[in-house]
Amino acid sequence: MADVLLEGCDLTKHYPIKKGFLQRTVGWVRAVDGISFTIERGKTLSLVGESGAGKTTTAKAVLLQEKLTSGSILFEGRDLRKFSRSQLAREYRPSLGSVQQNPWSSMNPRMRVRDIVAEPLVVNTKKSKGQIRSRVVELLEQVGLRADHVDQYPHEFSGGQRQRIAVARALALNPSLVILDEPVSALDVSIRAQIMNLLKDLQTKSNLSYLVIAHNLATVRYMSHTVAIMYLGQIVEYGGAEELFKRPLHPYTKALISASLLRLPEDEEKGRKQIILSGEMPSPLNPPPGCRFHTRCTEAASTCSQEAPPLRKVGANHYVACLRF
Amino acid sequence: MSKVLLEVEDLHTFFFTRRGVVKAVDGISFYVREGETFGLVGESACGKTVTALSILRLLPEPAGRIVAGKVVFDGTNLLELDKKEMRAYRGREISMILQDPMTSLNPVYSIGDQIAEAVRMRHDLPDNMVEPEVISALRLLKIPSPETILGEYPFQMSGGMRQRVVGAIAMSCRPRLLIADEPTTALDATIQAQYLALFKDVQKKTNISIIFITHDFGVVANMCHRVGVMYAGKIVETATTSELFKAPKHPYTVAMMDSVPRLDHKDKRLYSIKGQPPSLMNLPPGCRFYPRCSVATDVCRKREPHQVEISDGHSVSCWRVQ
Repeated sequence: MADVLLEGCDLTKHYPIKKGFLQRTVGWVRAVDGISFTIERGKTLSLVGESGAGKTTTAKAVLLQEKLTSGSILFEGRDLRKFSRSQLAREYRPSLGSVQQNPWSSMNPRMRVRDIVAEPLVVNTKKSKGQIRSRVVELLEQVGLRADHVDQYPHEFSGGQRQRIAVARALALNPSLVILDEPVSALDVSIRAQIMNLLKDLQTKSNLSYLVIAHNLATVRYMSHTVAIMYLGQIVEYGGAEELFKRPLHPYTKALISASLLRLPEDEEKGRKQIILSGEMPSPLNPPPGCRFHTRCTEAASTCSQEAPPLRKVGANHYVACLRF
Repeated sequence: MSKVLLEVEDLHTFFFTRRGVVKAVDGISFYVREGETFGLVGESACGKTVTALSILRLLPEPAGRIVAGKVVFDGTNLLELDKKEMRAYRGREISMILQDPMTSLNPVYSIGDQIAEAVRMRHDLPDNMVEPEVISALRLLKIPSPETILGEYPFQMSGGMRQRVVGAIAMSCRPRLLIADEPTTALDATIQAQYLALFKDVQKKTNISIIFITHDFGVVANMCHRVGVMYAGKIVETATTSELFKAPKHPYTVAMMDSVPRLDHKDKRLYSIKGQPPSLMNLPPGCRFYPRCSVATDVCRKREPHQVEISDGHSVSCWRVQ
């Protein structure tokens, strides 16, 4: 049996829209609408989808930055709703680390590297100054920086180096799960590989679990063990990365993959078709009835607009939400 | 083969700052044929955008200056024109699309007004002719129900639609050359695919030449006929797209391709290029890529390689292929 670290069960987050003098609620944005997933120890789960799909809201729910409308998160088998505030602060939060997309905005420009990386330690532990200092150096060396970098400021580093500092900060408390929100998309192409390889090495070395949020499918394939494809607040396909990329079933997954595949001029001449979806993702304020993807689906049938497809098991570790399966 | 529309010869654009001279573009040459898409691909700060701004002579002066070179557009060297003559080329002959539609559109003017502004400036049209021109520009970019969109504002539209409006403004004066600077970087994957397909269609209809600036080799493969790979202010390799992907020759091109994960198979471990691009203020002597190159030799450190044509239309600046 797989060693499950964190489980999301039927997570839902609806944001109210308020209007007028009395701030009456006039509608709901269904940012995340009933999604479930499991993150295994030492493995990577990626949430993939376009902007507005609900990836970041999901990550924020796991980080407890957003209060869920409904649903539960199980951490090492225990329901977070049963944790007291101090239990959350002592037992849950320190086991999480987080790396944000943009290393230019995720660090205080007026703090030195030593203080940036030390902050989680100062807040959460009772280590002495000397202990903290040696831990910071150890962390920096782990991510490929040098001990003499500690007195510099973020602006003295390149994007790739800053992202390394962000990773060092995320690892400060020896977390078991690190949330990586688009960890490489703000970086230059030649630097991305360095950071992805670093993250993979750290995972193998410390048996870390990752929750990756990304929109670049090739990055996801390289990084992940399990992949969840999200569309308009729901998971439309979920499964092992290899299986999912080799045998995509949901029309949306197929379109995403087709849009991201390398396509040379001769492919056009040979008549290899690219799936191009029409229209745009509808508003989460008023999602379409039935299958949420049916307005753009190339294979939609008449029943698709009436019946919402459940996420059904189609393989050993492969689930798809489409009426055609 | 169609005729050459734009030829850039040995262009040098430097920025003179208090801290020193930044050699943003340091001797690049390329040409674009009619109806062709030429890709300029490279990482940030390799000189792609400065090249585009140099062609349009929109550099932030006085810091940025074109120091040497020629930009020949349909027989005229644009660098010899005076300001007024140059203005006649901008928009009417050569237009540009920028990366972020949120910053290139004015939030307080309606879409119709913003396109009309471009239309009015370029053709001496009577007022009653402006709106049909605007609508035909919106139609060309396949913007649904153009008549109703005229009165809308940028904030009411999605990112993909906004970028189509920017495209409509660029196309509204029927230019012969379009410079697209990372036009799809801010868009989602399926919307990017839509936008690229749309531009191929626009090109088929209008036979426009396009310079496509991007950092994404996938976009290059999809869009461009020929490609120039830029590194630290130089074009290190030029080839047709199929040739470049089949037989890349410059170590930088090869390394870039190996360091990008592929979707069609599982990579064991990505190749990662060591170090980072050099500062343009303090370039290494010899080949600019040698500090990061895995096959560099002694000569690479001492002397700068020339561009050598190794087969028809495929040139490389590297000592190893000379």
